[in-house]
Amino acid sequence: MLLLSRLPKLLRSLLLAVLLPVPVLHAADTPRQTIVKAILTADDNQKRELITSLVGQGDEAIRELFTAWRQDNLYVYTAPDGTKIPVELSGDKDASGALTATRVDTGEPLKDAAGQPLHLVAAKQAAVEHDARLRLAMKNVVDLLDLGSPLLAKRLRAIQTIGAAQKPDKLPALLARSALETDSKAKAALREAIAVIELADPSDDVKLKGLTELRDLHASASYDLIKTARAKGEADAKPAIVKAADTALAAIDQHKSVVNFFGTLFRGLSAGSILLVVALGLAITFGLMGVINMAHGEMITVGAYATYITQKVFGEGMQFTLPFVKIAVHLPGLHLTGWAYQLYFVAAIPIGFLSAALVGIALERSVIRFLYRRPLESLLATWGVSLILQQLFKLTFGSNNVNVDSPVYLSSNWTVYDVTFDWNRVFVIGFAVVIVFGVWLALTKTPLGLLIRCVMQNRTMASCMGVRTERVNMLTFGLGSGLAGLAGVFVTQLGTVGPSMGQEYIVDSFMTVVVGGVGSIFGTVVSALGIGMADQSLQQILLNPVMGKILVLVAIILFLQWRPTGLFAAKSRSLD
Amino acid sequence: MTSALRKTITAGVLSLGVMAGLARAADDTVKVGILHDLSGTMAISETSLRDVLLFTFDEINAKGGVLGKKIVPDIQDPGSDWPTFAEKSKVLLEQDKVAVVFGCWTSVSRKSCLPVFEKDNGLLFYPVQYEGEEESQNVCYTAEAVNQQAIPAVDYFIAQGKKKFYLIGTDYVYPQTTNLVLLEYLLSKGVPLANIGGGYKKDSAGKIISAGKYTPFGHKDYQQIIAEIKDFAASGDACVISTLNGDTNPPFFKEYAAAGLTADTCPVVSYSIAEDEFRSLPAKDLVGQIGCWTYFQSIDSDANKTFLANFQAWLKDTKAEGVVKEGRVVDSPMVLSYDGVYLWKACVEKAGTFDVDAVRKVWKSGISFDGPGGKVTTQPNMHLTKTVYIGESKADGQFKILKTFPDVYGEPHLKGTFKPKE
Repeated sequence: MLLLSRLPKLLRSLLLAVLLPVPVLHAADTPRQTIVKAILTADDNQKRELITSLVGQGDEAIRELFTAWRQDNLYVYTAPDGTKIPVELSGDKDASGALTATRVDTGEPLKDAAGQPLHLVAAKQAAVEHDARLRLAMKNVVDLLDLGSPLLAKRLRAIQTIGAAQKPDKLPALLARSALETDSKAKAALREAIAVIELADPSDDVKLKGLTELRDLHASASYDLIKTARAKGEADAKPAIVKAADTALAAIDQHKSVVNFFGTLFRGLSAGSILLVVALGLAITFGLMGVINMAHGEMITVGAYATYITQKVFGEGMQFTLPFVKIAVHLPGLHLTGWAYQLYFVAAIPIGFLSAALVGIALERSVIRFLYRRPLESLLATWGVSLILQQLFKLTFGSNNVNVDSPVYLSSNWTVYDVTFDWNRVFVIGFAVVIVFGVWLALTKTPLGLLIRCVMQNRTMASCMGVRTERVNMLTFGLGSGLAGLAGVFVTQLGTVGPSMGQEYIVDSFMTVVVGGVGSIFGTVVSALGIGMADQSLQQILLNPVMGKILVLVAIILFLQWRPTGLFAAKSRSLD
Repeated sequence: MTSALRKTITAGVLSLGVMAGLARAADDTVKVGILHDLSGTMAISETSLRDVLLFTFDEINAKGGVLGKKIVPDIQDPGSDWPTFAEKSKVLLEQDKVAVVFGCWTSVSRKSCLPVFEKDNGLLFYPVQYEGEEESQNVCYTAEAVNQQAIPAVDYFIAQGKKKFYLIGTDYVYPQTTNLVLLEYLLSKGVPLANIGGGYKKDSAGKIISAGKYTPFGHKDYQQIIAEIKDFAASGDACVISTLNGDTNPPFFKEYAAAGLTADTCPVVSYSIAEDEFRSLPAKDLVGQIGCWTYFQSIDSDANKTFLANFQAWLKDTKAEGVVKEGRVVDSPMVLSYDGVYLWKACVEKAGTFDVDAVRKVWKSGISFDGPGGKVTTQPNMHLTKTVYIGESKADGQFKILKTFPDVYGEPHLKGTFKPKE
């Protein structure tokens, strides 16, 4: 409390007022009533004391009334019976030049004896005066108003703003607030703000105390202010301060590098998971079945548009016309609100899977089944299909991109030790784990999985053994396409949905599958995570997204020179 | 009278007659070129400009045309392919002999057809905000110059007490040049280099040649950059100046929102997002962000209301092919196209001819037009003086106007004009 003894009397009373936010004297008064008293009293000192007593209150009415006061909108109305009622005049002037009157004590309209709202002409009322000292007192209260706000975000912002201003006169209010504060985040912010204000103190001891505190807090938000303090210490030839500042800066730098490390790890994991989700379907259609499916990206688009339609149906519904056949589709909306509406994303997951799987099956039946022995033709044919699908999307949904809202449960984050974990990124990591596990289960633990594996190993032999290979082919392709659809559902959370969005993913998908080793699901997992990690860490090191990507591609080219079959080559006895 | 003289006179009379005949044939119409991408990546933006130009032509034709001649549009689609812009300009100027061309969106397309316009002495009206450093005698820049968009927005942030500025953009000529100018401007305002985020590159002589963070077209992964911005903005007095191109904005803003950044803590001004782009953006994630243009649809003036009503009525009735009728909004490039046509009309009428040199001379003398966004006046440097607005985006994709800077002189050459504060 070194500072306290130097504070002026008014500020000390301000501090006391904050420590006891509702002074005993006015125990029953609301902030509005306190303001009424302050208006009506003739004693200037008492006026100021009453105003100052409002420090620490979070009532928005205070801000509104003080603003009105400072802008000369408060007047004292004398009722016919002689009572004086302070009012705020606002709104538009009516024919007689009168304004709407609102009572300061209740916030209700002023009414006459008959209960009719009264309109008053400003010039005929006694204006509530204010002088510079009163305005300062009011400003102090308003500045500190958010400190008492029930909203954490507002409180945090107020604490930071007050701290960054480095005004010692705000110190008592912060100290008082930290005695009342229960939230740990706000507490840390208060400690930081107090330390930052101490940095501006003329006394070296206080400065050193502030620097020590900032060092302990790893206060990265105050990095610039510490630098300023260091520069000042250097200019004043105070080695102790420079040294303490250096220590604090080093501590923050170290903290930042730890945060960056874990942040990059997390971002790499999430980028890898996105690659994995996007490439897993291709790992089946291309990896297992050997179909070079250039329309894989469009399966992702199908999943994305399915999500868009689901969102619309959960909301206001939508209309579109199917091209060529000119059938108008009218999907009635469910008009859900709140949480029920937010669940559209959950509903879109199976819908996205099924619609892409159906499109995939249709594609397999109509085109691909004729091309199993001719992989190069399948490349051309599926590329053609991809162009056709893109045009169909364009004709159906328009060439403008459409937007899928992020549901509330995917649009926030956790911050642990200053590392930000976005919920949508956490979700995609979990999503990838679940899908990979599901695919592994389906392929190894189900009868269909067994059939898929044997058909993929040797189509002719399996057929001879009585396996209905046509059906297995169809279902496998459907599964691969459905997985692409799931990817489509998720990527709506990363950007917008458009007819050619699939093109953005096709290269990444093939790259992941090839690096992982064609035919190996496990290889795809490892390569997706590896590419994601490498990309994010290189971005972090080079501070340049383009160079990071280029280096990853160069590394992949070199890697494939060395191991053309990828990380985990599927062992095969066939002589291809 | 000598026979030579008689011959000359006969020839003169004859040729006069021929010219009169020709003139009579083309008497009631004048060909005007539209050079906008109606297919390919840029079609999303430029189709709207084609629509508003057709609307303006119809509006002018209904009132008697220009110099008594009806405007006939000559539409060329370069298909978002930059070299094709030069070819299509040749078709318009040399083959179709149009009186004037309204066109181009990207700077690279403008640069590509500029040589053709200069060689054939054509006149191009260019309506989209651009990086400056250019002053061709064959281009009427109705577009916002850097000091009519980028700089007022920075001034606004400085007035709001922002001390740190993060520059981010898509990697091409407009963001690179604009950010270099902004860097010089910020330094001249006393903002230290350490407070300008996004990094910078120096050449071997130590001169800064690139400022800010750049991502390629179509970039999707903004995790790392947002983490950097979050760290940069931790002190609570930072803002982001974005020249990101259309399709990279959704991933950027979604990541921005998910990381817990908001317009209260770290506002973003986006120079490439106007009302039209909003149609395909996550509006929810953009509420409270800043836009800076010389027109907003929300401008509350009679001229603007009439313009909007007329445009919507035209959309409803038009038979023009490929015009989307529902959910249409108007934004600054569209209004600058509209203003451009009227300015050209005014210049032509004052000059009394469609001749490019005459029209240019009138343009340089200073012609005014009261457009939907307020009065615009032509300048001797081929740019426009106009009103600049700063707006805050709302959930419905419109902007609430926060600040107005009236009559800002368009100044294309800004690089090197701001000196660092000592």
